[in-house]
Amino acid sequence: MMSSFSIEIFLAVVGVLLIALDAFATELNRKVVPWAAIGATGLALILMLTRSADIPAWITPFYATDSLAVFYKVFALVTTLIVLIIALEGDFITAYFSSSEGVKTRIGEFYALPLIVCAGMMWMASAKDLVALFVPLELVTVSFYVLVAFTRRSAMSLEAGVKYLILGALSTGVLVFGIAWVYGATGSLSFEGIAAAASKPTTNAMALMLGAALLLAGLGFKVGAAPFQIWIPDVYQGAPTPVTAFLSVGSKAAGFVVLTRAVQAFTGDGSQIATQVGNALLSAAALTILLGSLPAIFQTNVKRLMAYSSISHAGFMVLALACGATGTVAFYMGTYLPATLLGFLLLVVLRTQGVGDELKDLAGLSKRSPLLAFALAVAFASMAGLPLTAGFMGKLLVFMAAISKAHYGVVALAVVGAAAGFYYYFRPILTAYSPVEGESTKLQVSPVARVTIAVLIVGVVAVGVYPKLLQSVLK
Amino acid sequence: MPSVLFYLFAAITLLFGVGVVVARNPVASALSLVCSFTGLAALFISLDAYFIGTLQILVYAGAVMVLFLFIIMLLDIKAAEGRQTNYATAVGGLLLAVLFTVQIAMVLGDFKEGNKTLADQTLNLGAAASKTSLNTIKDELAEGTLPDAKLMGFTLFDKYPFQLQVVGLLLLAGTVGVVVLSKRDRGGKEEVS
Repeated sequence: MMSSFSIEIFLAVVGVLLIALDAFATELNRKVVPWAAIGATGLALILMLTRSADIPAWITPFYATDSLAVFYKVFALVTTLIVLIIALEGDFITAYFSSSEGVKTRIGEFYALPLIVCAGMMWMASAKDLVALFVPLELVTVSFYVLVAFTRRSAMSLEAGVKYLILGALSTGVLVFGIAWVYGATGSLSFEGIAAAASKPTTNAMALMLGAALLLAGLGFKVGAAPFQIWIPDVYQGAPTPVTAFLSVGSKAAGFVVLTRAVQAFTGDGSQIATQVGNALLSAAALTILLGSLPAIFQTNVKRLMAYSSISHAGFMVLALACGATGTVAFYMGTYLPATLLGFLLLVVLRTQGVGDELKDLAGLSKRSPLLAFALAVAFASMAGLPLTAGFMGKLLVFMAAISKAHYGVVALAVVGAAAGFYYYFRPILTAYSPVEGESTKLQVSPVARVTIAVLIVGVVAVGVYPKLLQSVLK
Repeated sequence: MPSVLFYLFAAITLLFGVGVVVARNPVASALSLVCSFTGLAALFISLDAYFIGTLQILVYAGAVMVLFLFIIMLLDIKAAEGRQTNYATAVGGLLLAVLFTVQIAMVLGDFKEGNKTLADQTLNLGAAASKTSLNTIKDELAEGTLPDAKLMGFTLFDKYPFQLQVVGLLLLAGTVGVVVLSKRDRGGKEEVS
């Protein structure tokens, strides 16, 4: 029985030790570090599910252990575990593109850094205070700068790394400026104190509003909400695919949990700026859904398509947040995880077999590997929101939340976005099942990948058929 | 601080800040940044924030900028000559900066707390002294001086000791990243995928 706080420290320590192990034990089989990382994450997940509730008293001022925090902590662990498996699956591609030593390059850092990122994301899930929000957020972001540019022999990866670094640093500047204004206006760094000050008439609403706007802009960048989504397609396409998966699920979820807490603080009972923050979120949601869905129609690269899709999903989650439905945001995130990770796992498996990530490369997939084609169909159907898949329940709950608050205009736009989704998500499926002329080689899928694919498919279908499974976790 | 000095240092900060962007020679850019930081440090000190003012000089104008200059020297970056100025971007950026300044000016016009200085603030340091637990801070507060470095250290180590260590982890991740990304490649041509 360990507390969640000890589990996070355990993960960070294992991450540091693995970096040292990779650096000093150069004779060691290069698969030891990946497996150790996967083992540590799996162990942490088990420890997390059987954790003890009591935490040291000295961390309580900045550390929350409510159901939201626990949900996002488990979420971060599951994401990291699957991302590490995806990374191991595509190991030789990452190694090949990271130095001229080719596939024999030792890339232990590529597996150790995600553990540190995971600890950071778990600390973010517990943030009760702007300092406790900012420091782990930066830990996660700085580690991602490294991971995105990791395959440095690929020009696209370097380009993605530079873009992410510059825009990420800018967004951090905006975020810190916002924190300074919020502190100046409310005299408090804790979300509780900010919420209390926001409802007091003596607090200067203008200054608080400016601070809130800057803070939301900084966090909007992290979750990829419009108009701060411009970096996403290039970075997602250029980054190594496992890192793209980690960015689009882990980093986004961690961004959403802190965004949820900040919005809760700004729109608490009697807050002076609740309406303005709500309206800003609503317009951001509408814009994000449109700017994600419409360009996605014209994409011919599956990775880029999934980047635009992740923008559109972020729009739906911001919409739920604008309606105050924080549980729905978490639920949507939970439905987004299996489908998106499944999609990226397939891309990596295909890549290891020499199949590229252009849409046309998928042609005839159903003949070459029925399992992969079926998994692709499940992943994209769930992202589109087909009934009986997890994605359907997520979208349904968002629409219900928006309708209950009578935001019909935004709902109409979201329906347009979801409808466009049916077009662009079904194109890869149709391509995969289209008949092709001539002989084609069968594709090999490793046992680890098979098991992971099966688990993710079961996850998508189980939540789609019986959503209470996920909802009960959120209670 | 007399307002003449405020305007002097504000002008130094702003003019050299513009210099950073406008200068074609990277060394001139970096040195402009040093001057801009120095002006900023003077402004901090004028607000009685001695500790931050000192840090601004020591860390930013000192360590960070020396590092910048070293990198410019090592990479042997030449002045960006013949580069066309993209006027659309320049105008757009300028417009954005003006809009943001106007917005902040409007907010500040309404923000009465912003007009106060520490001199207007009735700081009852003697009463504050009875609240803190650290002896040295207590003594100085009782004497009526504000030990801002010690208070900041107290907040940092008493309230956020854990976050301070996470910053250590962050720096480690950053260092590892620098090593990974700048490791010398043994032969072989750069490939473009």
